[in-house]
Amino acid sequence: MIIYKTFFKVLNKCKFPVILYTVLLLFFAGFNMSSNDKSMDFTAEKPEIMVINHDKEEGLTKNFIEYLKQNTVIKDINNDEESIKDALFYRDVQYIIYIPENFGEKFLDGKNPQIEVKSTSDYLSTLANMIVERYMKVAKNYVGSTSDNEELFSKINETLGKKAEVEVTSKMDTSTISRLTRYFNFSAYSFIAISIYVICTIMLKFNEDKIAKRTAIGSIDYKKINLKLLIANSGFCFAIWGIYFIFARILIGEIAFSEYGLYYALNSLIFVLSTVTLAFLVSKFVKNKNTITAFVNIIGLGSSFLCGVFVPMEFIPDFVLKIAHVLPAYWFVSNNELIGSTEVFAGEFFKNFCINGAVVLGFALVFFIATNIVSKKKVEK
Amino acid sequence: MFFKNFKYTFKALLRNRGLVFWTIAFPLIMALFFKMAFSGIEEKETFDAINVAVVSNEYFENDGILKDVFRTLSDPENEDQVFNTSYVEEGEAKELLQDGKIDGYVVFSENAPKVFVTKNGVNQTIFKFVVEEIVQSSDTADIIQAKVEKMFKEQNSGGFWNTLGMIFAMMQENRSNIKDISDANLSYMTIEFYTLVAMACLYGGILGAVSISWCLANMTNVGKRLSLTPVSKIKLVLSSALAGYVIQLFGIVLLLILTIGVLKVDFGNKIPQIVILSVAGSMAGLTMGIAVTTGIKASENAKTGILIGVTMLWCFFAGMMGVVMKYVIDKNIPIINKINPANMITDGFYALYYYDTLDRYMTNIVGLCIFSAIMLAIAIFSLRKQKYESL
Amino acid sequence: MENIVEVKNLTKEYKKKKAIDDLSFDVYKGEILGFLGPNGSGKSTTINCILALLNFSKGKIKIFGKEMKPNSYDLKKKIGVVFQDVAVFEELTVFENIDYFCGLYIDDKNTRKKYVEDAINLVGLQEFKKYYPKQLSGGLLRRLNIACGISHKPQLIFLDEPTVAVDPQSRNNILDGIKKLRAEGATIVYTTHYMEEVEILCDRVIILDKGKIIASGTNDELKDLANIKERITVETKDLDNNHLNEITQLPEVFEALYEDGILKISYKNEKNNLENVIDYLKSNQIKYRKIYSERPTLNDVFLELTGKELRD
Repeated sequence: MIIYKTFFKVLNKCKFPVILYTVLLLFFAGFNMSSNDKSMDFTAEKPEIMVINHDKEEGLTKNFIEYLKQNTVIKDINNDEESIKDALFYRDVQYIIYIPENFGEKFLDGKNPQIEVKSTSDYLSTLANMIVERYMKVAKNYVGSTSDNEELFSKINETLGKKAEVEVTSKMDTSTISRLTRYFNFSAYSFIAISIYVICTIMLKFNEDKIAKRTAIGSIDYKKINLKLLIANSGFCFAIWGIYFIFARILIGEIAFSEYGLYYALNSLIFVLSTVTLAFLVSKFVKNKNTITAFVNIIGLGSSFLCGVFVPMEFIPDFVLKIAHVLPAYWFVSNNELIGSTEVFAGEFFKNFCINGAVVLGFALVFFIATNIVSKKKVEK
Repeated sequence: MFFKNFKYTFKALLRNRGLVFWTIAFPLIMALFFKMAFSGIEEKETFDAINVAVVSNEYFENDGILKDVFRTLSDPENEDQVFNTSYVEEGEAKELLQDGKIDGYVVFSENAPKVFVTKNGVNQTIFKFVVEEIVQSSDTADIIQAKVEKMFKEQNSGGFWNTLGMIFAMMQENRSNIKDISDANLSYMTIEFYTLVAMACLYGGILGAVSISWCLANMTNVGKRLSLTPVSKIKLVLSSALAGYVIQLFGIVLLLILTIGVLKVDFGNKIPQIVILSVAGSMAGLTMGIAVTTGIKASENAKTGILIGVTMLWCFFAGMMGVVMKYVIDKNIPIINKINPANMITDGFYALYYYDTLDRYMTNIVGLCIFSAIMLAIAIFSLRKQKYESL
Repeated sequence: MENIVEVKNLTKEYKKKKAIDDLSFDVYKGEILGFLGPNGSGKSTTINCILALLNFSKGKIKIFGKEMKPNSYDLKKKIGVVFQDVAVFEELTVFENIDYFCGLYIDDKNTRKKYVEDAINLVGLQEFKKYYPKQLSGGLLRRLNIACGISHKPQLIFLDEPTVAVDPQSRNNILDGIKKLRAEGATIVYTTHYMEEVEILCDRVIILDKGKIIASGTNDELKDLANIKERITVETKDLDNNHLNEITQLPEVFEALYEDGILKISYKNEKNNLENVIDYLKSNQIKYRKIYSERPTLNDVFLELTGKELRD
C-alpha cells in the first residue's frame, strides 16, 4: 500500500507536464478543424493567386480577370514588392500574374503580348498555370473570328464554361477520418512524453539509493515491486488513454465511436502498453530531473519526427522511414494510416492490423524483459 | 584575474552536462530530426505526374486524337508531363481507384466524358481540368476552322476528327506567351532551420545567465565568495559573460556547420552576413539571459524555465512549429515579430536567402542590436547594486 | 592592543524588524573571537554587514582602520571568508576550486602554487585533489569550503559555522586547522552555536541573542557571570525526598535536582563542595556509582541570561 501512496504523491507533482502535452494535443486537434466538407459533390480545388494588373480593367483584360475570379481565389495583398515576395514564399498565393500595360488591346490586335508569372511549382500553381494558359489558348483561337468584342467574349466564356462530368465514387467521409487519423497520430507524442515524464519522475523517487536499499532489504523482492509499480503506472497511463479517447469524441465527433474509432482506440491502447514499458526501462537509466527532460525530448520528438507523427508519413523520405522501423511509434502510425484508408474492415485489413499491433506488443515485451534484467543487475550490485 | 575567472568559468560551464545538452547538443539533434522529417515535404509538393487511368473502351481506341493527347500528356520525355496514364478495362480502373493507386479515371463516350474520383483534391481537379480542355478544344474547332483552312487544304485530308487533331496539335504548339519570372529560392522549409538557429542563439543565453549568477552574491553561494575577492565586479561580470558567449558562439558555429555543411540547408551564400547575424543573435540571447537572471526574483530553475518558455513562444511566432505562423503574424500583427528576437534572427536569414538587397537584413540586425541594448540596460540596472538588502 | 575590526552601533533592519540591534565590538589582532548564539541570532547578518555585502541602517564599521566598502579591494585582499553554506563549483575539482579562488587574489604563479598546496595540506585533502565536490562526504566538503576561503593566506578570517553537520574526525581536523591559522598570525572571527567549540578555541566570546550582545569576554569572565560556579553530579539510586531536602540545606547549595537516578547539585561558590557532598553521602550510607564536579558551561551562562538553551 505504501508503494501506491507514494506513487500518487509524486504523481501530483507531475501535473504541469501532463497538462502541457494534453493541451498540445488538443491544440493540434483544434488546429486541424478546417475543412469539414461532407457533401458528395465534386468541388474543384482553387489555387490562390494574385493579379497585378498594369492594364486598364476593361475589355479582354476585364474578361480575363473575371475568368480568373471564377476558377481561382484572388487574394488581396498589399501591392508592394516585399508583401508580394513574402506572399509567394509562404504560399499565401501559389501564383502571381503580372498583366502588362495595354495587354487587352494588343491581344485583340492578334499580337501575343507577354504575361509574366511567378509560381511556387507545386500542384496548385501548376493548376493555376493551366488555368491561365487555357484562357490564352481559347481566347487566341477566337480572336479575329468576330469584330464584336462582346460576342467574342461570350464565345470565349461559353467554351471555357464547358465542364466534364465528375462522379465521386467513394462514400467515405474522408476529411473527418483523416482528422481522426491525425489526432491519434499526434497522440503518440503526448503518450510518449507523458509516460516517460511521469513514470521516470516516480521511479526516480523509488530508485533513489536510500529507498532502493531499504526496499531491497525488505521482505518484498524487486520483481514484486516492479510489478506493483508497473500496475500503478499503467493504470495512470490507461486513464490518460481513456481521457484522450473521450476528447476525440468531443473534438472530432461521433465518428470516434464508430467502427473506425474502435480500431483507433484498440491501436492506441496497444501503443500505450509499449510507451509504459519503454518509460519503465528508461527510468532505470535516469539519474536526475534534467536527464528526464532530455529523455522526454529525444525519445518523444525523435519518434515523432521520424515516424510521421508531426509530418504525414507520405512526406517523409524512405530512408528515414526505414530507420523508423525500430521504433514502436512507426508501427502505431502505420496502423492509424491503415485504419484511415480502409473502407471495408475485412480480410487484408485484419491481417495488416494484427501484424502492426503484434510488432508494437513485441516492443512492449522486449522493454519489459529488459527492465527486469536491468533492475536485477542493479540489485545484485 | 580577468583571464583566471574566464578560464575557470569556461571550464565549469563546459562541464555542466545539462547546460551543454540544452544549449549545444539539443539544437544539433533537432536539426537532424528536422532534416529527416521535413526534407521530403517540398519534394512531394513539387508538381509530379498524376497517376490516372483511361478506360480503353472502343470509343477511345478508335479515336486517334484522344489517344495522342494522352500519349503526349503522359510522355515522361515531355517536360510538361502531367499524367502517368494506365489504359485499362473499366473494372480494373475501379479497383485501381479503390486501392488508391490512381487519383481518378475517365470514360470517353459519345456523350460528355465522365471522370471518376474518390475525393476532392488538387490532383482530381487537375485531371478534371485537362479532360475539360479536351472537350473545349473540340468546341473551338468550328470557329477556328477557317483559320486553319489553308493548312487544312494543303494537307489534303478529310474528316472532322482529323481536322480537330490538326487544330489540337496546332494549339499545343502555339504556346501562350507566359514568362516565368519566379524567384530561385522558394524553399520555405529552410525557415524551420532558421528558427532552429534562432532558438540556439536564445537558448545560448542560459550559459550567460548561469555564469553571471555565479558572480552575484544575492544569487549563489559562490557569488558571495566571488564578491569578496579583490576583483572588480565589472571585471568578474564581463569575463564570466564572455566565457558564456564564447561557448554559445561555438555551439552556433557547430550548428551552422551541421546545417549548411552536412545537411545542405540553403542559407544563401553571403557567409560574412550569416556570421554577423549569428553573432548579433547570440548577443540578443546573452543579454536576454543576463536580464532575466538579474531582473527577475525567482529560483534558478524558475529562471531557466522562463528563458526556455519565452524562447519557445518566440520561436513559435517565428514559425518553428509551422512556417505559416510567421507569415500570419508578420502580416496581421507585425508588432509581435518586430520585437521578437527569434523572428529577427529568422527573418534575417530569410532576407539573406530570398532577397537580393540587404535592406531587410539590416533592419533585423539593427533590431537585434536595439533589443540587446534594452536587455543590457535592464541588466545593468540590477547589476550596479553592490550591496544588498538581504541575501 | 591593535583593533583589526571596529564595529560601532551597527543596526540592521529587515522589513522593520531589527535583525541586528545596536551592536558594538572590536576584534583584536591575533585573537580568535567567538560569536556564540542560537540560529537566527544575527551572527551571519553581522558578518555580511562587516563584509559590505549587506546594507545596514546605522553604524560604522572599520577594518584595518579603514571603512569597508564593496570596492575596498586593498582590504578585501587581506580578508578570507568561509561561509556557512558550501560555496564551491560543482563542475570543478578540489584542486581547481582552490586554485580558482586563490587565483583571484594571487597573481604570481609560483606563489599561488605553493599557497594552494598549503591550503590542501592544512585541511588534509591531499588524496582528494582530483575529486569533484559531489564525490566528497559532508565533512570533506566542509574542509574544501574552508580551503577555498583561506588559501590566499588572509590576515583576517571570518568563519561562519564551518562545522555544521560535520563528522567528529573532520571537526577535529577543522579545529586544528583554525588553530594553525592563528599560529601563523591570522586574526579569526568564528561563529558557531556549539559552545564546546568556543570553549576549546576562542580567546574571547561574544554571545548574541536576537541581534543583541548579551555578554562578552573571555571564557572565564563569562562563566563568572553565571550564578552557578560549580555543579556536582552524583549517580545513585537510593535517594529519597528527605535526602534531597537535606542536600538542599547544605552550605552554598543553589539548587538540587534528582531525576532518573541522577542527582545534580548547583553551587553559588567553589568551597570544598565535593568534600561536603561525599561526607553527606557517607554519613547517610548512600551508595553511588559515580560522582564528579564540573565548571559551569557557556550554556549555563546563556540559560541564565536568556532563560533558554542555546540549542533551541
